Amino acid sequence: MIFFLLLVLLVFVAQLVEIFLPPLAWMFNAHIYIVPVIVFYGAMALPFPLMLALAFFAGFLWDAMTAQVLDGHVEISFGWSILLYAVLAAIMHGLKPLFNRGRWEVHCVLSGVCTALILLAQYSMISFRRGSLIFNREVWWQIGGPGLLAMLMAPLIFWLLHYLSRLTNNPYLPQEEGFDEYAPR
Amino acid sequence: MNRSSIVAIVIFAAALLALLSIGPQVTRQIQATFFQAISPFLKTGSGLERKITSVRTGLKSLEELEHDNTALRVENRSLKATNEALRDVEHEVNRLRHALNYRQRSLFRLVPAEIVSRDSSTWWRTVTINRGKDDGLASEMPVLTDEGLVGRTTTVSENISVVLLISDENCRVAANVEGTREQGIVTGERVAGSLAPLLDLNYLSKQAELKAGQKVYTSGVGGVFPSGLFVGTIRTFQVRALDSQAKLAPAVDLAKLEDVFVVIGRK
Repeated sequence: MIFFLLLVLLVFVAQLVEIFLPPLAWMFNAHIYIVPVIVFYGAMALPFPLMLALAFFAGFLWDAMTAQVLDGHVEISFGWSILLYAVLAAIMHGLKPLFNRGRWEVHCVLSGVCTALILLAQYSMISFRRGSLIFNREVWWQIGGPGLLAMLMAPLIFWLLHYLSRLTNNPYLPQEEGFDEYAPR
Repeated sequence: MNRSSIVAIVIFAAALLALLSIGPQVTRQIQATFFQAISPFLKTGSGLERKITSVRTGLKSLEELEHDNTALRVENRSLKATNEALRDVEHEVNRLRHALNYRQRSLFRLVPAEIVSRDSSTWWRTVTINRGKDDGLASEMPVLTDEGLVGRTTTVSENISVVLLISDENCRVAANVEGTREQGIVTGERVAGSLAPLLDLNYLSKQAELKAGQKVYTSGVGGVFPSGLFVGTIRTFQVRALDSQAKLAPAVDLAKLEDVFVVIGRK
């Protein structure tokens, strides 16, 4: 439970940090997203109910931060990010046996893919709402770029979170060696 | 699947359905409360960001100094650092004096505001400013600088507000072209590959003959934006099958915004 609360706090802090991270001009203004990586780690290291709670919290923050109310309607209804997080986190949770065997690289790759999928889903909803579909180089970079960055950040963030998980005696840690080889005991 | 997981799914689904069914007003209230709650963090973060930027600028000057004069490096470094600090102050004084002058000569009642954060999401172009209901702000108020139109307020909490920039596709502004009877709608691009994207001026008549360099102003149609605000300058113009379209360079450099004014009424 302590580790869950710690993840909730980290999600909140990461969401605030993301606000001040400038988009990357050399990557067609792709943004850096840290929160999804934390949530996807939570999906592996937490039991199902707490994973849902974490996904709910992260999605709520995202929507509270970005939902656009314009001319009397909400462009993407409040709650869609929660659903996206929950579905993708549930997929990651389903791959927990791999993580338990110390095969964490799959989850690093998937963190990037899922981050990009969240953005792709949002963009599809916006396009549907605005009535035209535009897919050019900028769009692909703004969807794929954050996914690529999340994939690159994931090993470090996973390692740090795993370290914290050990420190807080999280009872849902992997049983076998591998990923936690360097974590404190 | 065990019992606790099923209970969790039921609770999750109920909470999600409740959220998905809320209307625009409640959404705005939730957002306003949320922004109010995080406003201390945003303001602190903004201050830190400015300090870091100023330190970065200072370091660049030191590098230039080393190039210029190696013999008097130590003395020069100290003198130039002092100069740099004074230049920052001078820049700030000039900026604020400029803003104050504009506020005094403007036809509108303006509330000055500072940008706290910008573009926190991929798909919407917004900035957050450090003024809110306590300063007389409300939703759908025009935001501008002495150079031209910036956007309009959307979510407004007690002392922080979100501004939708004119570079966003959702921010539509009725506008007319200087020296002509042409009227159209200015919108941003859905996806911009640069920090200073161009704007689209759509629905111009097929007979329009516009040239690069012509200025575009708000027409006042629609009620949100008063007429006569400078929106941008025409870069390119093309006649399409049914209408014409022009691309505009925004009047304001949206990537370098620091201070803005919110129009809360007329004088």
